[in-house]
Amino acid sequence: MHKGYLCLVLHSHLPFVRHPEHENFLEEDWLYEAITETYIPLINVFEGLVQDNVDFRVTMSLTPTLISMLTDSLLQDRYMKHINRLIELAHKETERTRWQPEFNHLAMMYLASFYKSRETFEKYNRNLVNAFKKFQDLGKLEIITCGATHGYFPLMDVCRESVKAQLKVAVAHYESVFGKKPQGIWLPECGFHPGHDELLKEAGLRYFFSDAHGILHGTPRPKYGVFAPVYCKSGVACFGRDLESSKQVWSSIEGYPGDYAYREFYRDIGFDLEYDYIRPYIHPDGVRINTGVKYYRITGPGEKLPYDPHLARERAASHAGNFLFNREKQVEYLYDFMQKKPMIVSPYDAELYGHWWYEGPMWLDFLIRKIHFDQKTISMITPSEYLLENPRNQVVTPSMSSWGWKGYSEMWLQGPNDWIYRHLHKSSQRMTELTKTYSYNNPNGLLRRALNQALRELLLAQSSDWAFIMGTGTHTEYAVRRTKEHLLRFSTLYEQIKSSCIDEGWLSDIEYKDNIFPNIDYKVHQ
Amino acid sequence: MAIFRKIKEKINKVIQKNKEKKAQRISKGAKAKEAPEKEIKHAIGTQETNIGGSKFFTPATVRTAPPVVQELPARYFEDKIIIQARDSWWLHSYWEITPRTMDNLRNKLQDKFNSARLVLRVYDVSNIIFNGTNAHRHFDIEVNFDTTSWYIDTKGPGRSWCVDVGLRLANGEFITIARSNIAYTPIDGPSWITDEEWMIPDDMFARLYGMGFGFGKSSPGKGWQERMKRALFSGVFASPGMASMASPVKKVPPLRKFWMVVNTELIVYGATEPDAKVTVQGNPIKLRPDGTFTLRYALPDGKQVIPVEGTSNDGIETITITPIVGKETKSNSLVRK
Repeated sequence: MHKGYLCLVLHSHLPFVRHPEHENFLEEDWLYEAITETYIPLINVFEGLVQDNVDFRVTMSLTPTLISMLTDSLLQDRYMKHINRLIELAHKETERTRWQPEFNHLAMMYLASFYKSRETFEKYNRNLVNAFKKFQDLGKLEIITCGATHGYFPLMDVCRESVKAQLKVAVAHYESVFGKKPQGIWLPECGFHPGHDELLKEAGLRYFFSDAHGILHGTPRPKYGVFAPVYCKSGVACFGRDLESSKQVWSSIEGYPGDYAYREFYRDIGFDLEYDYIRPYIHPDGVRINTGVKYYRITGPGEKLPYDPHLARERAASHAGNFLFNREKQVEYLYDFMQKKPMIVSPYDAELYGHWWYEGPMWLDFLIRKIHFDQKTISMITPSEYLLENPRNQVVTPSMSSWGWKGYSEMWLQGPNDWIYRHLHKSSQRMTELTKTYSYNNPNGLLRRALNQALRELLLAQSSDWAFIMGTGTHTEYAVRRTKEHLLRFSTLYEQIKSSCIDEGWLSDIEYKDNIFPNIDYKVHQ
Repeated sequence: MAIFRKIKEKINKVIQKNKEKKAQRISKGAKAKEAPEKEIKHAIGTQETNIGGSKFFTPATVRTAPPVVQELPARYFEDKIIIQARDSWWLHSYWEITPRTMDNLRNKLQDKFNSARLVLRVYDVSNIIFNGTNAHRHFDIEVNFDTTSWYIDTKGPGRSWCVDVGLRLANGEFITIARSNIAYTPIDGPSWITDEEWMIPDDMFARLYGMGFGFGKSSPGKGWQERMKRALFSGVFASPGMASMASPVKKVPPLRKFWMVVNTELIVYGATEPDAKVTVQGNPIKLRPDGTFTLRYALPDGKQVIPVEGTSNDGIETITITPIVGKETKSNSLVRK
């Protein structure tokens, strides 16, 4: 009989980046890279597990912005072009490296993997959400939602109507895609503010996650620390993150991804190869970008050595073994100590797997197989299953917290980005005003379209990603631009609605550009 | 309260003991690469930030983005102040005072206005319904008239705050212009409230607490001393605004990092009848419609023999041309002046 649970949570998110007005838009590559390097490899791992009858449980958040992009036909077409270009490049690479056996087999590896990506992409009719849905329907994956555009809730507490809108739009969107209501939510940036559990409850959500200190500094003290969920006063459950298991994967120093045998992220042929040769595969403006073809391993100090896939694979297997060993020890210890089966919650950015840590999906595959075949101490579980088995839990109010830099709100509230809140809050307040003014006589036609678009623009401006990028201080132009653009579109709509002169041509144009959430209802913002 | 104090002493003892233990361990295992030390210095969440940032990797080359046509409004013409908790100690506040309000005050106060100071009055309103006069205490922060935001060091985790922006006159009189919402700075350690039903012995909780922060089971309590005080809030004592300059992602060491790379590639190209069959080093290649071809190879050191063989479509004629290419690399190691 097992003595405890492991709950793996993969948070998949990208902000809404879709620019129909440009043929090639640099930031759309975030999506294409994540598709090739993370989402498809994860799908392939899950497929292999199902095929081999390996039972597993993974909890995965797919943010509404990400789902919207994955299901968008324009972006799907563009991804096809993208992967076809990569295949062409990989072909050339197998030729170019013919006299370099140390790289030639890697070029072949990339060629095969790009072909596989295209195959998987086409298998699901270019809509990868279908794949994740399939694993959810099989009972292996629990897909949860997130804030509609990944707005950071603690800094929206002064306008809770916006938090409500983020939640309700997300839940409705989830329902339209998956045909049922989401059970739980990954709060954007894991950001919790006391009281927001009430809003989750109102939106029909049963659980969320917080960082370790959210629970450990909760009131009253949590009897089982982070190793059992707690209920907020509203009855919504909160699962705390275990930092020990997190550190093993996240940390660049102690963590697995920093191992010298693993692939080096920063040596990409998009930067390394001769300009004219690589030119067709980088940005049409001639800006060098990552192609995803990388030939080196991390190696350690000194000159980088060529990547060795066999060595890396062995290392991933042994790291999976090490992770499992540590969890078993942790669970055994906690089981004796708590007199109850502990729950180890290990959440990660999904994009860590594959995109950042190339061998991550392979590691996950090894880990899940080892859990299934090699031991009896731990079983994988989803939060919903845990709550079914353990309906009685302590009542604790978690503390305000996030999983960002320094554990609270500073990543999104510092010199380079604090100016945004004055405008965001004002716009929220105006949106509430619009909702109040126009909710009685159920407007139709143009007015309704304008109101709905106003909410879209507000939500898009609220994405925590913009503040995050401004906070990192590098290449902030795009983030600043997006914030201002959506805020300006919002205020123009506000003025036009108030003065009853809506410019239909212009409205149609921004509806076409910012086409997220086609079924949005502005009335949720109240 | 006495009970709380006793519990606090007990936990502090456990923490102290563990700090000592840890100090010993570090000095013993000093060679276990400097990594763990380095990690502790990093604030919690730094890795998440770095990796999160890698999602938004954009090339270093400066790109000219089309400029935003319009700027956001500088003001919304209302008297308003908003505060938000940044962490357990700091509040961020922003406010706006309309020119009209200022003019009214100037007219009303006449001479007194000239010696008045713009002040943020920070009230501790923990566990009360604040009516403007019943705060536990307050302190003032003088700000310039053209300032519109400020980071406030509350020095008080676990408290509720309300802030007035207003004028303080020379005689000490305070005139509120706008009153903020209420914000709560979260506690920076475990709660002292343990409800009866779920009472858990302190040493047990301390162990769970340490494990929750990933410090292993033998190191209870170290979590909040180490993590909270040093790592979590390492930016706390920097002056407002300055703290925010320390971006987590750009930590470029000021080392000299001059470098150079030289690679060679070889282009083999030619032409024949468009319908001929051509092999290079025995591998068939594809001709362009006009019968030309171009091949490109990374050229390593050594000798390459590259037979290019063309055969006419009917298989009757064959031409073989074999370039032989040698490459040798000499290099000077780095010379410093």
